Amino acid sequence: MITVQAEYTARFKEITQITSETIQLEQPHMAELAQILTTKYGERMEALLIDPKTQDLNTNGTLFVDSTGRRLFIDDTLADGETVSFMVGIAGG
Amino acid sequence: MEGGLLRVDLTTGTIKKERIPHALFERWVGGSGINDWLMWEHFLKHDPMCDPRSPDNIFIFGVGPLAGVGSGIGVKGRLTFKSPCYGIFGDSAGGGKFPYMVRFSGFDYIVVTGKAPKPVYLHICNEEVTICDATHLWGKGCEETHEMLKQELGDYPSTTHTLSIGQAGENQVGIAGVVSDGWRIHARSGGGGVMGSKNLKAIAVQGNGGVKIDNPNGLLEWSDDFRQKLDGNEAAYGFKRRGTLGAVEMYQRIGGNFWRNNQGALFRGEEVRSDNWVKKYHKYSEVCSSDCYIACDGRYKIEGHESEQAKKFVGETFRHPEYLTTASGAGAMDIRDWAEVAHWGKITNDYGIDNQDLSCSIGFIMELKQRELISDRDVEELFGKPQSLEWGNIEDIEELVKNVSYQTNPFGWLFRDGAYWGALRYSEQKGQNFMKYAIYGKGGASFTEEMRPFPTWMNNMAVASRGSDHLKGIGLIEKFQRKDLSKAYFGTPIAGDPTVPDLKGACTAVLENQVALINSYGVCLFHWLLDPLSYAPESYYGEAYTAVTGIDRTKEERMLDGERICNLEKAYNSRLGLRREHDTICERWMHEPCPEGPNKGRVAADMFEQVLDEYYEWRGWDKETGLQTRKKLEELGMEDVADVLAADNAIAGESRSGRAVHVEMKASDDPGIPD
Amino acid sequence: MQETRQKELVNGEVWYRPGDDVPNVPTKLFALQNLCTDCKMCEVACSLIHSPEGELNPVWTRIKIDHAPQVSRVSKDGFGFMPAICHHCANPPPCAEVCPTDAFYYDPETQAAVIDQDKCIQCMECVPGCPFDTVFVAPTGELLKCDLCGGDPACVKACSTRPEMLNAGKQYPRLPVLFYEEKAAFGQILRQKPEARDEVGIMQAMLSKGKVSSAA
Repeated sequence: MITVQAEYTARFKEITQITSETIQLEQPHMAELAQILTTKYGERMEALLIDPKTQDLNTNGTLFVDSTGRRLFIDDTLADGETVSFMVGIAGG
Repeated sequence: MEGGLLRVDLTTGTIKKERIPHALFERWVGGSGINDWLMWEHFLKHDPMCDPRSPDNIFIFGVGPLAGVGSGIGVKGRLTFKSPCYGIFGDSAGGGKFPYMVRFSGFDYIVVTGKAPKPVYLHICNEEVTICDATHLWGKGCEETHEMLKQELGDYPSTTHTLSIGQAGENQVGIAGVVSDGWRIHARSGGGGVMGSKNLKAIAVQGNGGVKIDNPNGLLEWSDDFRQKLDGNEAAYGFKRRGTLGAVEMYQRIGGNFWRNNQGALFRGEEVRSDNWVKKYHKYSEVCSSDCYIACDGRYKIEGHESEQAKKFVGETFRHPEYLTTASGAGAMDIRDWAEVAHWGKITNDYGIDNQDLSCSIGFIMELKQRELISDRDVEELFGKPQSLEWGNIEDIEELVKNVSYQTNPFGWLFRDGAYWGALRYSEQKGQNFMKYAIYGKGGASFTEEMRPFPTWMNNMAVASRGSDHLKGIGLIEKFQRKDLSKAYFGTPIAGDPTVPDLKGACTAVLENQVALINSYGVCLFHWLLDPLSYAPESYYGEAYTAVTGIDRTKEERMLDGERICNLEKAYNSRLGLRREHDTICERWMHEPCPEGPNKGRVAADMFEQVLDEYYEWRGWDKETGLQTRKKLEELGMEDVADVLAADNAIAGESRSGRAVHVEMKASDDPGIPD
Repeated sequence: MQETRQKELVNGEVWYRPGDDVPNVPTKLFALQNLCTDCKMCEVACSLIHSPEGELNPVWTRIKIDHAPQVSRVSKDGFGFMPAICHHCANPPPCAEVCPTDAFYYDPETQAAVIDQDKCIQCMECVPGCPFDTVFVAPTGELLKCDLCGGDPACVKACSTRPEMLNAGKQYPRLPVLFYEEKAAFGQILRQKPEARDEVGIMQAMLSKGKVSSAA
């Protein structure tokens, strides 16, 4: 059992209605965190999180990173106390 | 496929109407590709080393075949010219309804040369083209100019759409942009300065002619399919709502923001680093360039209750700040309130000036003051009066914007060509070297994003044909750590890892080709970025291009088309004497360690040369000189270009006596300091 | 019916509430003008369908997006856009009523009022006759009116879905600007979410008072 902090920005914040929360995981896997979030927040969260083509985490227009700024994929493991940021964005302008 | 071409010589007042033959579309695709070719042809007859502010310079507006026909990928018009601020190849894109309307006027490409004896504007109403007096518009801001022209020309036979310059362009400021419909700026490279030097205040267009589509049903089906794809893309909704603003929070996490002239990599203001803009400001409506399924833009009105500072701007309306407006305002100059950032966006747009270059000029002088490298007396000399030069002081900043736009004091004169030339001139004047505080890349162009931890981005800044810029190469794969994309492009995930130099130069080379294709279609880049594999320009967008033009191509051929366009832009710069040593970035990015964020300590110099070598390798260019090789040009069917380069001693491995080669890059005539 | 039309005329509204009797035409064009972004995709698609072969030209469109300062419910300041669409009014539609040659007839398939170009003498009486300004004149003098594309309107297909509206953190359904639906089916869209019907009703009412903004 580990505990991770999930942080939400932009589109994620609109779906969850909160900026961050603490989530407990049975296994230290990103896959479990994704599963918990899709169950909790429904289909729009799932559409943002999971790419149906690859069944991996969605990479298009999104960026999910750990506290060191490394992008996370579905088979990554998480350390206890890790902060995972869920972000959407394209720069420019 | 054919296109209308309008040639206007402002010196003699002659107007010529020509057709762009099908063969030119076959070779240069359209849009920016054809613009580049028209410019290349022009400088075969005229001296490429001409002063960009002289009548010999050329100013081209062009729209690609996919613009305005209902593809749903947006519309982008493109300006091409020799840049007055960087002295090299210059181009700039912008949306709005102007490029959409240009298509229905029958002229897809407008070429302006010469110089009018007095201020004029160009009125294009279908086949009828007139050069009209613009003395009444001179001295007006872009929004007002647009409104006045709309009033003057009316709504028949169609609504009027305009392209105009503000006060900055009129005063031939190098970093002045050109504004479409009063509120969408083609900012980079200084097209406004070129228009100003030609005494051309505006181009107004009306049209109700048709556009020939090769396969209308095919196009309708394609665009229906594209709409369904985008409607199913959940990330697109985030983008529809807030445009590029979402990047502020994202860059805050990965250390990609730019703070106080890049003394930091993270924003400090509580408010500007959050998503408060979307929450606090009443957004009246989404607005769209035209022909776009996303519509990422929006209008705001400041009502005064949003913050203490907002009270100063009650009633102000404009479009919501995009990421780079925020990065230049809240980042480079440390403005900490949204209303003030929005105001910064509005004024730079209205005076018609590039906020990237300008914010780095202002940031530079603020940093000198902060470090006490200049005294109060120096400041008075620069501004003709005491000036606080405090970070984030919007009143001060607004004055500085006016100083440059109106060219009213030595600061304005020194920095009219951006931070690099300004810093150089000021260093010379003071007999001190301030260059380590100037932010710039190739050509002296500035950019307000943290560069050091992202090898492809720093490579983009060093090699982009129009001078330091992200929109030629798009460091998408490594900045967003897209290992999946890397696998699809190169068969290995390594390009998605920004901590190693491998394949970073390759990313620039391959993505430059794709971006050149998109620019040549005349559409927006952002849709592609939402799903780069599914919406690939060489395959998926290519189908729409085929439906419109009837030009069918394989995926590989299209990639070669893109590469050909990149090589033409490069060739023009080589003729000007640009070599490997000009593909460079500033000292701060190169040697000063990144101060904070997850990438603290990284410097660009660690990987810079290696990535640059790899870029030349992938391009098939000579690594030592940075010049193109005849072999590569012949592969692309550009023998004619190779011959021109050979005559100018600007091709690798072929040295002959001929025209003297200028190796000094130079912005046009140094303004000097008047008494 | 007269009363409904009168009300629409006054408010410039195109909206039929789910319970309303939508006259005459079983399927109908609807527009949520406050979501319109002025992207012109509907105009372009309409023009592609209706212009002479192979040519795209907005002068052939039967739908036009305009700035709608006097009717936009979101805007107090001339912000906002509104697609001017044919309402396919109750029988007889005002455009047909003023026609001196009875050139209008009902398409048996879609029951849309369309113009018989052979009978039309191009007197243009129907142009001011339409209370919603949706009869247009082509450069050839031909009168242009929405014909619902034979039951599959191109403008509706071209209209992209907008993000949901937001109000006090509450999310409303995500909708495109243009609909072509049977009355019943349209009601179903509103019922997709629990209490959606009420929400949309409330949303519309609030929009008319300028209390919520369209989410951009």
